[in-house]
Amino acid sequence: MIHQLFSTLDKKYHFGRAQAHCDVPCGIYDPSTAQIAALTVVRMMDLMAGLESEGVAAHNSMARYIAVKEEHAEKAKHEIRVIWGDYFKKDKHPNVDELVHKIMQLGSKARQTADRETGVALVEAINEFAAIFWETKGVATKKAKAPYAPALEMVYPDL
Amino acid sequence: MFRILRVTGDSMSPEYQEGDFVVIATGPLFSRRLRDGDAIVFQHQHYGTLIKRVQRITDEGIYVVGAQENSLDSSRLGPVRRRNVRGRVVWHIRRRYSDK
Repeated sequence: MIHQLFSTLDKKYHFGRAQAHCDVPCGIYDPSTAQIAALTVVRMMDLMAGLESEGVAAHNSMARYIAVKEEHAEKAKHEIRVIWGDYFKKDKHPNVDELVHKIMQLGSKARQTADRETGVALVEAINEFAAIFWETKGVATKKAKAPYAPALEMVYPDL
Repeated sequence: MFRILRVTGDSMSPEYQEGDFVVIATGPLFSRRLRDGDAIVFQHQHYGTLIKRVQRITDEGIYVVGAQENSLDSSRLGPVRRRNVRGRVVWHIRRRYSDK
């Protein structure tokens, strides 16, 4: 409410600006990339488990699924590392460290195995990370199933 | 005296975010009372009016830092001279998402 009052006054009186300036554009952080990457990991696991045919075509498909799973598990880890390292401050969010470590381990295990439970655990851990991230931004979140396979429950900003 | 300013940019995020307002206490009395960790607004000849946090105060000036890896800080800006300090933040009005 106070902010709204200041905003109204700002429109009328045009307060000065204080720049929180960066060397290069920064501040664009969003965990959704990591969430989608983790979902992709589960999707690839499902496709691998459901591959019934044999022969060269099947081997080709399996190789592609594994490659995509590898790529996106690593991508999820990378995206989380960037937000954790560049955005979160240790003194203000001490509990995030443990969660990020868990995500790193789950991401690695998702690469090493085709265990769906591990993939789902990765999605859930990154959802938890996303919820904390949006909370720091003052943005409410909601849970909803992803509108595509594997249709797991995800944390979305309630915009 | 007090002055109201609107924050732009994300160098001080997550504490000070784009669209937040700050009220600064101005005048030499307040700049003399600065301490490490205070958020200050100061004038820079190239970058204009900036908001940063005091890292340490020395005889040559005030060393400032941002909160982001890429934030401009005194390693680029140099120490801020006291005469360029416009004020110390005494009230922070955060922008909630619903206020947008």
